[in-house]
Amino acid sequence: MVRRPDPTGLIAALRESIPARLIAALGRSIHRERDERAERTAAWLGVWLGISFTVAFVTGLISHFMQHPPGWAVWPSRPVGLYRLTQGVHVIGGLATIPLLLAKLWTVYPKLWQWPPVRSAGHALERALVLPLVGGALFQLVTGLFNIAYFYPFPFFFPAAHYWTAYIVYGALVIHVANEWAKVRGLRRSGSAGGAAARPMGPSRRGFLATVAGACGLVGLTTVGETFTPLGGLALLAPRRPGVGPQRLPVNKTAAAAGITPDPDWRLAVTGDVARELSLSLADLRAMPRHVVRLPIACVEGWSAEATWAGVRLRDVLHAAGVDAGVRVRVESLEAGGRYRTSEVDPPHWHDELTLLALDLNGEPLSLDHGYPCRLIAPDRPGVLQTKWIARLVVHRP
Amino acid sequence: MRGRLIAYGFGATLIGVGGIGLLRDAAETRPAGWLVWFAGAALTHDLLLAPLVLGAALLTGRLPEPYRRPVRVSLVLAACVSAVALPMVLGLGNRAGDPSRLPRAYGADLAIILALIGLAGALAVAVSAVRVRRGRSRRPR
Repeated sequence: MVRRPDPTGLIAALRESIPARLIAALGRSIHRERDERAERTAAWLGVWLGISFTVAFVTGLISHFMQHPPGWAVWPSRPVGLYRLTQGVHVIGGLATIPLLLAKLWTVYPKLWQWPPVRSAGHALERALVLPLVGGALFQLVTGLFNIAYFYPFPFFFPAAHYWTAYIVYGALVIHVANEWAKVRGLRRSGSAGGAAARPMGPSRRGFLATVAGACGLVGLTTVGETFTPLGGLALLAPRRPGVGPQRLPVNKTAAAAGITPDPDWRLAVTGDVARELSLSLADLRAMPRHVVRLPIACVEGWSAEATWAGVRLRDVLHAAGVDAGVRVRVESLEAGGRYRTSEVDPPHWHDELTLLALDLNGEPLSLDHGYPCRLIAPDRPGVLQTKWIARLVVHRP
Repeated sequence: MRGRLIAYGFGATLIGVGGIGLLRDAAETRPAGWLVWFAGAALTHDLLLAPLVLGAALLTGRLPEPYRRPVRVSLVLAACVSAVALPMVLGLGNRAGDPSRLPRAYGADLAIILALIGLAGALAVAVSAVRVRRGRSRRPR
């Protein structure tokens, strides 16, 4: 540590200022341990956060590219519950990360007021990178929480902002981890061979970490039931409940919100790159071979719920119209507009025997809110792409 | 050192991708509004939330040692659960004629969880009190 001259006494005065004394009190009352120990607590929390943000980044990218597939990628239709799992992990894991991030910020909070604020150009850069890291991490968790709670006080479109911010946060995290790697290695060294004796984990630090883990677990436990049905009864704080909704299934967009009214003259059009165009009535569809599947609606918001669907296989309808094996299908809704009016079905999904043009849900005809007269249901596919109120299937080349 | 430079390059690239994406997608990301929320999140934490927790830490710091920890643990758990539940408890979300959105009475749910945390905390304090008393009576006079 380089001591700087302080001819005016200003630095000494600042050291004695109220914030500085508060921070000193914080250090004494919270950590009750030496700086080195606080560093190690922060390092442990950092390891957990690094894992958590990596998982969130990867599962988030999976969700993004499932909804906006780049030309080179084709998503598999199996395992059936893959998206349900990745998005459940993304959202519930994100919620459980909230206590973790707050704990980490708490342990490093005194550093915010360090004196002198900047020691060198490198130190200035390091500190400047804390803003994208802290601001970005808080931004992701706060906007994510608000989004699943259907609360939109912000001016931006959540998916776009959450997506691009993820790169900023994760980039800042990579740089931060590179800078702090020595501390993480220090944890491992003392955690293994003979480490426990060399540098015991103090009761205060162990208690703090256990409390944080408990808070993360409590948040997870009271929300995970919205996607992991066996724990549905514990989902006291989840924005959704599997089994709650028309026909015992939650709804994301109601018919009223989509501007849909039932049409007795409804017909399903199959057009585009087909051998013969089709126009099928509901009776025509009901006359085709009927199949029953058990598939979840897995929402991008993290909730999911399984249901029993019955209807016609999409591939049976497409084969009746005469299509090549490699075509792609655009499923168009009766909705007049909206971001999710249409969705694309790639070959792995439309060839899958589980992919249905569903007519029945849980033993009854689809309710209007669930897409009457006909909706798409496919395995391993985000809920927003399970297009409801289907009007047309447009076959085209990818 | 080489590994570190690669990490710096990778991290800076990711930040660049995010920044450029935000600006190119400005119609949806609203960069000015985004910046308010981005910096605002950090400022709200640093200037409001952390000092509040600091105040709670100083207050609970006056408690004698065997009781301090259970009280603090209970407060941390209660605060974290409340933070996550807050938008739902306050009913800030939009239900748009859809009863399957936010179907529960979240205030009551949160109250149940907080009561359980309080109960567990009180139990822990009671156990500590009994231990302290026993310790005193066993001490040779």
